[in-house]
Amino acid sequence: MSELSDVVVPGSAQSPRSVAWARRRRAAGEVWAAFRRHRQAMAGLIILLAVTVMALVTPLLADRTGLSAVDSLDNPVWASPSGDFFLGTDNLGRSVAVQFLYGSRTSLLVGVAATMLIVVIGSLVGVIAGFIGGWVDSILMRLSDWFLVIPFLPLAIVLARILGPSIWNIIFVIGVTSWPYVARITRAQVLSLRQRLFVERARALGASRRHIVRQHILPNVAPLILANATLAVPIAILTETTLAFLGLGDSRNPSWGKSLEEAYTAGAITRNAWWYYLPAGIGIIAVVLAFTMCGRALEEILDPRLRERR
Amino acid sequence: MPPALPADRGIIVKYGRLAGTVAIVVGGALAAAPGSGTAQDPGVPETHPLIGTAITAGRPGVTLTIGLQQDLDSPNVTAGYLVSSFELWNLQYATLTDKAADDFATIPGLAESWEGSDDGLTYTYTLREGLEWSDGTALTAEDIAYTVNRSRDEEWINHSSTTANLTATAIDARTVEIVSGVPDPKLPTMDVYIVPKHIYEPLSADDILTYDALDGVGSGPYTLEEWEPGRSWTMVANPSFYGWPAAGPTIDRIVFRLFENGDAMAAAIGAGEIDAAHNIPAESVDPLDADPDIVAVVGQQGGFSEIGINAGAGGIGDGHPALLDVVVRQAINKAINREALLERLVLGYGTVGATVSPSPDPSWRPEIPDELSLSYDPDGANQMLDDAGYLDTDDDGVREMPDGGRPLRLRYGQRSESEYEPALSEFVIGFLEDIGMAVEPQVYDDSALTEVIGRGNYDLFAWGWTPFVDPDPQLSYFTCDQVTVDPAEILYNDANWCSEEYDALYAEQNVELDPERRREIVHQMLLLMYEEAPYVVLFYDADLQAYRTDRFDGWVLQPSETGPALFSNTSPSYVRLRAAGTAAPPTTVPAPASTASTASTTSTASTVTGSSGTGPVTEPSGAAVPTSPPATVGPTTAAPTTAAEDDDGGGSGALIGIAIGAAVLVGIGAFVAGSRRSSRDDRE
Repeated sequence: MSELSDVVVPGSAQSPRSVAWARRRRAAGEVWAAFRRHRQAMAGLIILLAVTVMALVTPLLADRTGLSAVDSLDNPVWASPSGDFFLGTDNLGRSVAVQFLYGSRTSLLVGVAATMLIVVIGSLVGVIAGFIGGWVDSILMRLSDWFLVIPFLPLAIVLARILGPSIWNIIFVIGVTSWPYVARITRAQVLSLRQRLFVERARALGASRRHIVRQHILPNVAPLILANATLAVPIAILTETTLAFLGLGDSRNPSWGKSLEEAYTAGAITRNAWWYYLPAGIGIIAVVLAFTMCGRALEEILDPRLRERR
Repeated sequence: MPPALPADRGIIVKYGRLAGTVAIVVGGALAAAPGSGTAQDPGVPETHPLIGTAITAGRPGVTLTIGLQQDLDSPNVTAGYLVSSFELWNLQYATLTDKAADDFATIPGLAESWEGSDDGLTYTYTLREGLEWSDGTALTAEDIAYTVNRSRDEEWINHSSTTANLTATAIDARTVEIVSGVPDPKLPTMDVYIVPKHIYEPLSADDILTYDALDGVGSGPYTLEEWEPGRSWTMVANPSFYGWPAAGPTIDRIVFRLFENGDAMAAAIGAGEIDAAHNIPAESVDPLDADPDIVAVVGQQGGFSEIGINAGAGGIGDGHPALLDVVVRQAINKAINREALLERLVLGYGTVGATVSPSPDPSWRPEIPDELSLSYDPDGANQMLDDAGYLDTDDDGVREMPDGGRPLRLRYGQRSESEYEPALSEFVIGFLEDIGMAVEPQVYDDSALTEVIGRGNYDLFAWGWTPFVDPDPQLSYFTCDQVTVDPAEILYNDANWCSEEYDALYAEQNVELDPERRREIVHQMLLLMYEEAPYVVLFYDADLQAYRTDRFDGWVLQPSETGPALFSNTSPSYVRLRAAGTAAPPTTVPAPASTASTASTTSTASTVTGSSGTGPVTEPSGAAVPTSPPATVGPTTAAPTTAAEDDDGGGSGALIGIAIGAAVLVGIGAFVAGSRRSSRDDRE
């Protein structure tokens, strides 16, 4: 990539837009370079890529019928890992490996989808509250206070119970209960951005609010939101696991949390059937840790406050 | 006035408790453990505050702790219906006649003797001398007459199948005369709980159903002291109980402790935190039995597990219309592989189900002729549904109603308090998927599920029953009278099924004094119900229990050899338990010999004459060798010691898991810490 300057070269054909994009590309390149130097961030990324690939190719590796208790009647129960069953079988003769593979899909889907919901709600509320201010800010912040004050898990449990066990309800529950953190951070950043000189300038030049938000505020809070989103994924995955472990998960979709719950209720721990609960447990730890490592690194690189402290 | 059946009797026992037959005592470990553990609950220290030494087991302060998963629904005998509540009442309320531990033979209870009239309609019972309620009030014939007459008038749920046709009169303080309006094959057995008149008389018919019944006044060996819903309930010895061995009670307090999880309960008995456990997971039977201090019991007393299908007779609620069709109900029956369920869910403990089981005595159940069989046949089930027009018109794998409309998507009420439930739900979904039905499980606790069923807002559910000794009560639950039509008054026909033919047969057997003829009628009824298929009877259950022999001796199985040790028909174990190593109490209750004169036509009643107060104590093989030294270790030291020593590997799996998890975490932490330091170095 050639070195580009922020300054528009007189006489060149570059539009302001292409300059902006070029600048962003360069900034992204810098972030990526910083990210690559971060060893734990790269380790996390590799784990994430591996799990994502695994989740994507699962239907090619194993048939869904392997999840069915009825279709597993010929299998031995509580079989320890062997050639036939890579990770052994559970109390109903189902292959643990197949459950593990399909479980990764649910855990990742819930983690990513719930995070998107968190990011959408959180950044929307944060930007609106921070930029508009006044009574709108007060109302939105009181609302987020309300969600922050209510103990998160009980609220999630109650909502999950009322809405019923389905994977989309779980995503919704995690989304609507976890957005205030993102909203708070976004709002704080927007408040500080609003006072910056370039925003003042744009305003003085008669830019509309819409323009300012789209051109100046959003691009500047986006990295922060990205870093926070990466950190929200593990929370979403752990919440899904918790709800599933409490029996509030989607009973028709295998997930790692559900595997743990089933292993626990079936007495895998008493029987020393480690092959039943360890894969799901390690899977959760690995994915959560990977997201956290990536998220922390991104946060260090992107969060201006953390950068200044260094 | 037509006598016959106890019409419109309102409510009756649900999920009642009682009686048993065929079973096996698995193992029978010997009780030769070096005495660790005391009979005391570590949670209730009974040590002397100053001296600080534990009181020797077998003396005041001894606590027996029982683990189970089902809470009481109500201690009120006119309102409760769960098995756990029956255990409470078995201990708190004595009955006019008791049942032998061995074989359910009718033996003296509050009544020491009785005499029947020649026409078999009138019985005169003579009470024991000096009976008292636990609060010191005299227990007289008035209490008996009051209970019988009021329960008949107000149709109390746990009394009316026995008292519906009876009228009782107190002749004098110790004599009560009971007259039946119809020939009654159940008499002279009078096994309804007698309630204290002085407590219940002030309560109006409306108030009585909501009475909390925490008064703790009873006539049985133990009375309720405290109930902490969701956690435990505690019963204390009633010194006024007529049946104590001469030395009086050897256990002062029984704590029924609730567990959320069967595995945790099995671990608790393995570690000696509890003395016995009811409904342990099938998987823990062998591991527990391998412990020399623990005996695992596979007890059968006629209970069965079923999937109920909403046959819609009540006309209320929103059950699926397809289930009104007997063809669909039969297809569901044929779709369920009961053998596989028995093997997978309860590891083969129990027997494959067919018809409803009305009694612990299996001879009440008919043989199923081949042409009626609804055993596993998914192809046949699919054929039946195809022929009846339930086709999958939109190719989504789920059949639709014959008019092409509503798909066969069925809700399935799943009990959160069932030991094998999550697994059963998986199987029901899978089996019905194979015949083109979609099942959506919904989890309820027992009270909530009762409500949902009562409102008719269900399609399928899984639950079970434990019948009484006489088949009548269980049979009565499926009469049209028991179909709930008003959600405010939930009755017991949870299949929501009504058949006039069944009702007519029920009325017939209700007054049939010839046992052979009565058995034939009952067989006809059960076959009829089997064919109409409102139930899928999965299996005849085994009650899986375990008890420790290092703390208490004297556990009895009811019926002998084959029944459970706890939660049985009349729960005889508690009275006979004594701290391990102490002298055995007299095995007979100081009761006068019965003078029942009229030769009863029922098998249970015919063995009464001349029998002593209670049958001989049948002891599990292990309990007969009380070689452990008197358990005198203080409670504070006992619990940790036993926990460590008795760890039969149950906890080591968790330990391994935790160790591996910790290792992973430490490794990752080291990695992160290392990389963080290096990256900081890089930056600086």
